[in-house]
Amino acid sequence: MIESLLGFAVIFLLALMRLPLAFAMGAVGIAGIAFTRGWQPALASAAQVVYETGFAYTLSVIPLFILMGNFVARAGLAHELFAAAYAFIGHKRGGLAHATVAACAGFGAICGSSIATAATMSKVAYPSMKKLGYSDSLATGVMAAGGTLGIMIPPSTIMVIYGIITETNIGQLFAAGVIPGLLTAGLMMCGIVWMTSRDPSHAPAGEKTSWPNRWKALRGIWGVALLVIVVLGGIYGGFFTATEGAGFGAAGAFLFALARGRLTFKSTYEVLVESARTTAMLFTLLIAATIFANFVNFTTMPGDLKEWITHLGLSPVMIIVAMMLIYIVLGTVMEELTMVLLTIPLFFPIVQSLGFDPVWFGVLIVMIVQIGLISPPVGMNLFVINSLLPNVGLGNIFKGCWPFVAIMIGVLGLLIAFPQISLWLPSLMK
Amino acid sequence: MCAAALFAIMALTFFDVIGRKAVSQSIPGSLELTELLMVMVIFGALPLVSERGEHVVFDSLDSFFPGWFSKLQKAFIHMVCGAAMLALAYLMWRTAKQFAQNGDVTAQLHIAKAPFIYGMSIFCAFTGVLHLGLIVKPNAALAEGEGAAL
Repeated sequence: MIESLLGFAVIFLLALMRLPLAFAMGAVGIAGIAFTRGWQPALASAAQVVYETGFAYTLSVIPLFILMGNFVARAGLAHELFAAAYAFIGHKRGGLAHATVAACAGFGAICGSSIATAATMSKVAYPSMKKLGYSDSLATGVMAAGGTLGIMIPPSTIMVIYGIITETNIGQLFAAGVIPGLLTAGLMMCGIVWMTSRDPSHAPAGEKTSWPNRWKALRGIWGVALLVIVVLGGIYGGFFTATEGAGFGAAGAFLFALARGRLTFKSTYEVLVESARTTAMLFTLLIAATIFANFVNFTTMPGDLKEWITHLGLSPVMIIVAMMLIYIVLGTVMEELTMVLLTIPLFFPIVQSLGFDPVWFGVLIVMIVQIGLISPPVGMNLFVINSLLPNVGLGNIFKGCWPFVAIMIGVLGLLIAFPQISLWLPSLMK
Repeated sequence: MCAAALFAIMALTFFDVIGRKAVSQSIPGSLELTELLMVMVIFGALPLVSERGEHVVFDSLDSFFPGWFSKLQKAFIHMVCGAAMLALAYLMWRTAKQFAQNGDVTAQLHIAKAPFIYGMSIFCAFTGVLHLGLIVKPNAALAEGEGAAL
């Protein structure tokens, strides 16, 4: 117990010293095994992890989904999604904000990244909102919050990472995210209705689109729809494994972008290298997290923790609620990937021993990441939007995101209270 | 190189799936090829990640530190990272040697695995040297890290 607590403490210290997390976790993991088992086993097991993680067919799902998202972003499909959503609801009060949320949800269904979704939307939706005189805080708040739908609505990078570390079925995780994602989008829209009814000057209505034009706008998104149906439908229907679906989706997105004339040799190369870099970054983290988890599992910590928690006499749900509270607080100041990778080896065994479904907990984790991404002072989505729209100012963005943080904490509560929201769809898959 | 490998994985998976579902004929050894290519993608891109400072770091405290401290901190970090990568390179070199001695090959296509592990080692070493080089290099304006990870 002592040695693993010491390990966590050292990692935190090194991370605070700005050492990349992967190096901190890997080094502490190896040193920890060395002290408990000796250097030879430590080095041998580290080499084993590096080798096995490198040569893993199933892990190719990560670069392929990243690649798919990047190609889709490059193909400019976000414009069509936004245009279609606007055509249907743009004339309502706050219509552009609603359209942004809807477009984010649609984009989230092909892109597994919250940051990419927010970044893409800020290019597409912000100019229109600005033109109609939306307040900056509402406009950026909607984009930051809507962007997080990218990781709840499958595919989702964080779900894949969670699935790999905890050995949970990725297809089931993806299925579990659909309803919570749509629920979040729906409640965000309710929130927008409420906010704009309190202060209509925030968000004037747009022009009404005629029905023929609406159908025309809808035709613009057939490509997105096709890709989503084939890839996700294929994975849910058991036609594809997650890896095959990702490969198919990436190739489909590539062909689509190519057909639309959005790709040159140079931009293809850029997309590939960018995706490879993200992949390498994630894999160093995965390797390090695995080494560290090996160390923690060697110690008595998981067992001791379980014992301690059962002694506390709290009901299992209270323990989950306590974990979520810890996460919400950590999420305001920590970078979310760090938070998840550091805490999963600690929390996941507890969750399992309490008899909870790992798929359900995975959805909670994604929700927590979503909240963390837009909760000030440290929220990646806020920073991305700030760097893309430097004129708005971080203060305005912070102001705009609070209502959405509140809404998402509400959704988290619903997800804890009603596990069926997450688990109903995966149960149909079996 | 990592770009080519990634593109190859994509194309390989795509045609493999089409082949299997449409004419029930998969590409022989596609699984192994994907694995070998993955190694190239991950380790080939590793130097790029380090060069651009894209590793996930906890930087919320940055604004609280004085300039001289940040400089010292940066040197310390690159030294640790460099040493770690070189150590890993040595470790993988040793592993590769074992594989070469055992003559390990992939199951279907009988491709020797050792050269790829030597490759891992070389890329790790290169990344390590890069980190050591970054100790002396002045602080460039680093790109926003994380890419599209989350």
